[in-house]
Amino acid sequence: MELMIQVLVSGLLIGGVYALISVGLNLIFGVVRIINFAHGEVLMLAMYATFWLNKVYGMDPYLSALLVLPALFFFGVLLQRVVVQPIQEASANMQIFATVALSLILQNIALIFWKGDFRTIQTSYAMSTLEVMNIFVSVPRLVAFLVALASILLLYNFLKHTFVGKALRAIVEDNTVARLMGIRVERLYLLAFGLGAAFTALGGILLIPFSAVYPTVGVPFTLIAFIVVVLGGLGSMSGTFLGGLFIGVVETFGGTYVSPALKEAIYFGIFILVLLVRPQGLFGKGKGTEEIGLK
Amino acid sequence: MKRQSWTLWLFLIGLLALTASGPVAAKDLQIGALYPRSGSLALLGEESWRGAEIARLEINKKGGIGGDSVVFVNADGHDVAAAHSEAERLIEQSKLGLILGSYASSRSMAATEVAARKNAVYFELGAIANSVTERGYQTVYRTCATAFNFSKSQSKFIAEWLAPQLKKKPSEVKVSIAHEDSDYGTSVADSFKNAAKEFGIQVVSVEPYAANTSDLSPVIFRLRKTAPDVIIAVSYAQDAILLSRQAAEFKLGIPLFGTGGGHSLKSFQEALGDKVEGVLNVDFTQYEVNSAFTPGLKEFVALYKATFKEDPKSGHSLANYMGTKVLFDILAQTKGSVEPNAFRKAALSMNLPEGTTSTGWGVKFGENGQNLRADPLIMQWRGGKLVTVWPKAAALMDAVLPK
Repeated sequence: MELMIQVLVSGLLIGGVYALISVGLNLIFGVVRIINFAHGEVLMLAMYATFWLNKVYGMDPYLSALLVLPALFFFGVLLQRVVVQPIQEASANMQIFATVALSLILQNIALIFWKGDFRTIQTSYAMSTLEVMNIFVSVPRLVAFLVALASILLLYNFLKHTFVGKALRAIVEDNTVARLMGIRVERLYLLAFGLGAAFTALGGILLIPFSAVYPTVGVPFTLIAFIVVVLGGLGSMSGTFLGGLFIGVVETFGGTYVSPALKEAIYFGIFILVLLVRPQGLFGKGKGTEEIGLK
Repeated sequence: MKRQSWTLWLFLIGLLALTASGPVAAKDLQIGALYPRSGSLALLGEESWRGAEIARLEINKKGGIGGDSVVFVNADGHDVAAAHSEAERLIEQSKLGLILGSYASSRSMAATEVAARKNAVYFELGAIANSVTERGYQTVYRTCATAFNFSKSQSKFIAEWLAPQLKKKPSEVKVSIAHEDSDYGTSVADSFKNAAKEFGIQVVSVEPYAANTSDLSPVIFRLRKTAPDVIIAVSYAQDAILLSRQAAEFKLGIPLFGTGGGHSLKSFQEALGDKVEGVLNVDFTQYEVNSAFTPGLKEFVALYKATFKEDPKSGHSLANYMGTKVLFDILAQTKGSVEPNAFRKAALSMNLPEGTTSTGWGVKFGENGQNLRADPLIMQWRGGKLVTVWPKAAALMDAVLPK
């Protein structure tokens, strides 16, 4: 029983980070409708930025969010304007080629500038743990979870209650009608991509106290984020949040009780199952969203 | 019009002169150097190449081999397919009869297969998969240890040192293996199981996991349930850090015994700080070792620093340096010939006892081309350094039981 609770806690904690990164992808995927395979590389860049701010200026990783988040927001805007916008109307294949290429380019730039080394930050709290009734909770993982939760709630309310948020949701639901209603879709694309990149960057900042950064660190996260987004449903932030937690818990339970080697297999199995049974995702926004951008 | 054709002619003549002067100018001894130098294995692939490069610079300074200077034709085996096609390119297009490399076992398996098929000599300096020298290829040689040698050193250490420390018989020592689940981790784990059997050590559980994961808590939970005396960990860089960090977070309290790879890296020590103290490891010879056992090691480190302006990152460069020097000794015997039969005769005649090279390894090739005298050493992280603790001849200090 004790082990079960421990496993559940560990799963929820890592699931929170998955959710945060997936929320970033969902904004991009849902609003801009581009399959962004370079998503993990945004995470990687944020982690490197945080790493270097710590290494060179001794800045605390959490504090560096003040610099890293705006920087990655603008990087996202730039990507949308320079890379994505010209191929916005192209076929999905074309977009996949472009973003896979972007992903490889960013990985190799990182390799050239920062080498293949595995870099980590040393903080006083990196390995500190709380112990509650024989259940161990890693402090940086707990922080990651709580910040992820808070920022997703913030985004949820932004989308629900502000004018811009409503416009973004309108685009998710029906791009053409949104355009007809006078929403400046292209401009909001820039915002969505920027926000998506910033949320992903936040995920990177929260990861780095307990995870190493290296040029290909983002690759597994791209895949996980796609699974979570499909699972939770395109455009649904609450769905993505629950999806992220679900994947985290399934991964940890599968890893502990079946085999650590199979945990990826388990959630990819779920991914296929969802695509077969409920392609619009568990909390999908209905018609059209099940196409997950592949038109 | 006329002037244009003039410039074109001049350009063409210039080009011809250039291409003609290239090969003619030097009577070079060309060797292919195949390493992963971009992509995910770039870090240690590059480090390995540096070792070979230093041996090359050193011999050229001494006048080369029989007066010919040695030139590397560098190739990047960043993935298995690239290793395969680059080996083909080196042999077919560059007309090379000799390739050295290749750090990663998967790359080596692909490239050695090409070399053997085309009857070119392949000199492996760093890949440890058993199968590299187990396929009956007559032109494949390896100077470094095999995965089985790693496991054997570990098992021997557990039986002869750890068991008495725990006041147990070797057969009572319980060992768990945690390994990353690619070819590397799986084959090393398998060979440990075989080696453990030889020494009567019982392996009570095996925990494979994916190296790129960001959470290894399931592995920790399983290990806590099994409660072995020691954990054999087979890891790359980031998962080695993660495993140790989470073991500390969950207060696992079971000694970790790394198997080269990530547990030897400086970044492993940096990431863990004082939590690294006492972690055991088996690997190629590293730098904190009895210098009487490793003649030439200090000179190598000095050369490395002078050439690359930093300290060596790991023992990979040293192993490749040692192996490349052995290769040059063989080529000195054949007077630079890479004709497979002459090369084989010279290689098999090499006979150096242990403790006579910069890695402390001896040189004696078996019929399968494997160096039989390249036993890995046991090290322990002590005071931020990876210090050799076993066997006695190579040790700088005695091992202590990790807490």
